[in-house]
Amino acid sequence: MRESGIFDESYEKDMAIVRTRRHWAALIGTIAFLLLIPLIVSNYYVNFLSNIFITVIAALGLQIVTGYCGQISLGQPAFIAVGAFTSAILTAHFHLSFWLALPLSGVAAGLVGLIGGAPSLRIKGFYLAMATVAIFYLIVWLITHLKITGGTGGLTVPPPQIGNMVFDTDKRMYYIVMIVTLIMTFYARNLVRTRVGRAFIAIRDNDIAAEVMGINLYYYKLLAFFISCFYAGVAGSLMAHWYLMVHSDQYTIVQAVFYIGMIIIGGMGSIPGTYFGVILVRLIDEVVLFCCPLLSSTFPWVGRAPAASLGVSAFGLVLILFILYEPNGLAYRWEVIKASYRIYPFKN
Amino acid sequence: MIDFIQFSVSGLLIGGLYALVAASVVLVFKSTQMVSIAHGQFLAFGALFFWIFIELGCPIWLSLALTFVLVGMMGFIVQHFTIRPLIGRHLFTAFIMTFAIFMFLDGIFQLFLGGQSRTLPALIANDVLRLGGVAVSKTLVVSFLASLAAFLAIATLFAKRTIFGLGMRAVAEDHRLAQSTGISVKNVFVFIWIVSALVAAMAGIAIVNVMDIQYPLPYIGVKGLIVAMFGGMESIGGALLAGLILGVLENISAGYLDPILGGGVREVAAYVVLLVILMVKPYGLFGLPRIERV
Repeated sequence: MRESGIFDESYEKDMAIVRTRRHWAALIGTIAFLLLIPLIVSNYYVNFLSNIFITVIAALGLQIVTGYCGQISLGQPAFIAVGAFTSAILTAHFHLSFWLALPLSGVAAGLVGLIGGAPSLRIKGFYLAMATVAIFYLIVWLITHLKITGGTGGLTVPPPQIGNMVFDTDKRMYYIVMIVTLIMTFYARNLVRTRVGRAFIAIRDNDIAAEVMGINLYYYKLLAFFISCFYAGVAGSLMAHWYLMVHSDQYTIVQAVFYIGMIIIGGMGSIPGTYFGVILVRLIDEVVLFCCPLLSSTFPWVGRAPAASLGVSAFGLVLILFILYEPNGLAYRWEVIKASYRIYPFKN
Repeated sequence: MIDFIQFSVSGLLIGGLYALVAASVVLVFKSTQMVSIAHGQFLAFGALFFWIFIELGCPIWLSLALTFVLVGMMGFIVQHFTIRPLIGRHLFTAFIMTFAIFMFLDGIFQLFLGGQSRTLPALIANDVLRLGGVAVSKTLVVSFLASLAAFLAIATLFAKRTIFGLGMRAVAEDHRLAQSTGISVKNVFVFIWIVSALVAAMAGIAIVNVMDIQYPLPYIGVKGLIVAMFGGMESIGGALLAGLILGVLENISAGYLDPILGGGVREVAAYVVLLVILMVKPYGLFGLPRIERV
């Protein structure tokens, strides 16, 4: 729906992602805010934001394959791991620059993702979900048993570098993460409205009907997996250079459910929804971390260190509530708010 | 050769336990067309409750009865608040919902466990039985026989052709269609979730006799789902066969490949089997292929 009194008079205007002046102002304002915020707040909040951005990249990948193409994938942490380990090996063993390793780890994860997506050509629904779980376990097993990945010991990773400038502090790393996230978001936003994106949506809505319309299912399903895993690989590479180490224990099947939960809470098939979901889930984690000491001091019988378990429980509860009462996710609320703003003098 | 028989026999005994876990998943799928991950938690909580009652000094029969009452209530509550509102919604929503339930209960299970591992006191003297050169633990044999008996009881219960059973099969076809013919879909849901939770709890109790209660226990539910997919999601007999086959395969591959590949093969073997099955025969050994229309 268009804003009241705004008319598209040329094709450029009709196709623009950023449409109005207020839109531009909001975008530039947000970017300026994100650029300036590390100067104001402490490292803790900067790390919180970096964490959100890296998670957003991985979740965007899942959004493309699950939210847009309808192929459920529970293997996302494994593809993140592939990206992280590729980046670690390239920079630590072969002394490649981070700037080259970042896209290469994305491509490596994408190629592994083609293998991971291969079952989608034959099966779908929960069968496919369980196949991706199997692929997750196989990849993690390979990582812990290969020599080059450091086995169960993991690898240490050098920080990124431009000339003499080393990105070794949290705040410096934040800028890399943020800019990569913005680029990836723009690409995803653009992808889903192209021919490829429309093909994905057709496959999600009904794959048999899509095939009848002449959409090559094999090509587009594998393409969706490739793009999704490319995103995961980039997220993994950033994660590796942010933590400065990689270890197979960082990638668990519980995280796979978290990623699926994030895009459900945010709203399937919506790019801003991905942001909402990730931010909400990360905020829940923070609240639980904050509440846990309180809880264990008030009720001593629960014992210490229940943070991890309570975080999982809280996430499960929120996901249950969202599936029951807001199945379209936060993105739906966002659309309602936007619509009421756009037709402002009138009411829905 | 003696190694091979040893691996096969202990694998077969473990496989019997997997089959019982798979039976709970099959029951839910057979009568509601929903796939459940959450039964791993019923299994874990069944084991936990049983351990608590045994530790409190209750006799075995009382502990069993109390555990069944509690897990049955859990099954009912979970069904009432989370699964029932999804009647008529897309089946995939229910699949994701069981993940959410799994996560919710997982945190509570970890909280109860407190990061430790608990061992059930030996209910029967744990001797080693020797048959020829093959050694098997007596508890494992007793657990296997108990789970086999439970399995056969379920199989005979569901082999009867009653009106209610016919209703269940109708519900499995289409929730709303079944509702419009006067079948109480809600009653089917209540019945099947309580029964399958009890089956999972039985499996849990059988399993804790041979292994400790520790954190990855709920994930045996995932293995149960793999077995169910292997045997065919609609087939109770398939679950038994697939469970036994998977147990043997897992044990043999772990026994022979662990020294070569450096450990951890046991965890991966089931997933390799799953991938092969999905590629070769996606609907499992005895499953029904579903024909889809646009």
